[in-house]
Amino acid sequence: MEIYLPIAGMSMNFFLIIGIGGLVGFLSGLFGVGGGFLLTPLMMMIGIPPAVAAASDSNQIVAAASSGAFAHWRLGNVDFKMGLVILAGGIFGGTIGVQLVKVLRAMGNFEFVMKVVYVIMLGLVGSAMFVESLRTIRRSRSQAATAGAAASEPKLAKLFTKMPLKMNFHRSGLHTSAIFPFAIGTIVGVMAALLGVGGGFIMVPAMIYIIGMPTIAAIGTDLFQIVLTSANVTLQQAFVNKTVDLLLALILLAGSTIGAQFGAMAGKRLKGEQIRILLAIIVLVLTVKLFLDLVLTPDDLVSLAPAKGGGH
Amino acid sequence: MKRLRLFLLAGCLVGLFWGEAQGITPEARQKVITAASKNLIEIGLSYRGDQIHFFGVNPVPGSDLIIRLTAEKDEEIKLSVKGRVGPFWMTVKQYEVTGAPFMYKIHASKPIDRIISADTARELEIGYPAVRDRMKMHLSRGTATPEDADKVFQGLIKIKEKGNLYNIVEDPQRLEITEGKLFKHYFRFPPAATEGRYLVESFSFEKGELVGYGKDVIEIKKVGLENWLTETSQNSPVFFGILAVLVAVSAGLGVGMIFRKGGHH
Repeated sequence: MEIYLPIAGMSMNFFLIIGIGGLVGFLSGLFGVGGGFLLTPLMMMIGIPPAVAAASDSNQIVAAASSGAFAHWRLGNVDFKMGLVILAGGIFGGTIGVQLVKVLRAMGNFEFVMKVVYVIMLGLVGSAMFVESLRTIRRSRSQAATAGAAASEPKLAKLFTKMPLKMNFHRSGLHTSAIFPFAIGTIVGVMAALLGVGGGFIMVPAMIYIIGMPTIAAIGTDLFQIVLTSANVTLQQAFVNKTVDLLLALILLAGSTIGAQFGAMAGKRLKGEQIRILLAIIVLVLTVKLFLDLVLTPDDLVSLAPAKGGGH
Repeated sequence: MKRLRLFLLAGCLVGLFWGEAQGITPEARQKVITAASKNLIEIGLSYRGDQIHFFGVNPVPGSDLIIRLTAEKDEEIKLSVKGRVGPFWMTVKQYEVTGAPFMYKIHASKPIDRIISADTARELEIGYPAVRDRMKMHLSRGTATPEDADKVFQGLIKIKEKGNLYNIVEDPQRLEITEGKLFKHYFRFPPAATEGRYLVESFSFEKGELVGYGKDVIEIKKVGLENWLTETSQNSPVFFGILAVLVAVSAGLGVGMIFRKGGHH
């Protein structure tokens, strides 16, 4: 069954899109990550123009994260104050990012920059996870692992308490400088626009290990800010680049929500380190594929550049 | 000064009539009567390209036929040329290309060069060399090299052929002519063929001379939801952006309520 995507301007197999959405949803349910960082490269692989892939994924993330954020909000896991500071950075960064996309598209190297950033980021995340989960498996005793994690007190967090612009973050039980949450919000905002990702896989570790927030508050707050950051990116992409394919986003969403439910079920049957090593392998395979795209001689040296201003 | 202007005007007029007398005007020939299985293609939700059958009567029995499909509007496109920078392949220069038809397909009853001379082909804009004549390239970034013109043109043809927007088929099987008179064939419009008007022109040649000409107009347009989404996203981006976010949030919350788990942990 083919479906015509109006903004991408192409017809695609409906089941292929919903299947990819389902696969990413399954993985995100299994691993507890947003999955945006897997979705955009997969969309590009099946031939969706990179700018449309990134913009539509942002739109899809708004939906995926809002359901999670809603659940956490009811459980009281959202630190709104922290979320808003990060959000301020995220909106600032997202706006820069969208303008950056515009410039890069005009220069014809958007795809190149996107892939380089992906390779670096996925490479780092993938290898870190791989090493960490291998270590955990070797230790083979889950008790030792949790003890180790708890022992690593965030050292940077102490430094931030000495910086200016201090604020009280009640829900997180912190009294720390607002500069760092703002800065990390900015970085993730730029990446959200550039890559079409929510940024949770960077934000959550940063909030736990660097800012020093409790894990559950970090996840809840992260989801809350992802909804708003991705909403901002979606708006900006719609205004500036006109590349949001709502139809594509909705099909992805349908696939990913169903997949996420099955992923969560499967997650209960597998051990944590097995899950993580699986995710690490997927991420590394994707990294290698993207890296090869950059260094192998392309089939076509001449390619179509998006018209100025995108769209028509 | 006045005399010079008059002289120039006279020169122009002579040139105009001279050109008229020299050029080939297809409309002045006998009409090739044609019929299309339909003249309107609608892009709906399940659009996956379309196929239109054409039937026609050759005005001069036994003459050769060339059918050309082109988009009414030319395209302004930008082509990126990749080059090696260190270990990486990235865009090193860009060309703005104008004058190339968005779509260009030819069906001929036998090889074009056995039907008409290269000059006639160029004049009637039949075949890739004629496309190349019309095309104008302008370097917008990077440094030009002499082989660029060729490379960019070949690259464009390859992109277009891959998307099934360009092709040239010189095959009597594809363009059937029954008893030299009644002909039929079909053109495939790929999903990449966007909205707009397309011309299907039938040229009939006898011994290299144009003896008949006919024209059909095919229109492609988006309808329903496809049309609405495209129009709204391009013409009312603010409204579309807000709508996209609201739809996503309500879909997310809706799903969250259905599953009651909230997806994430």
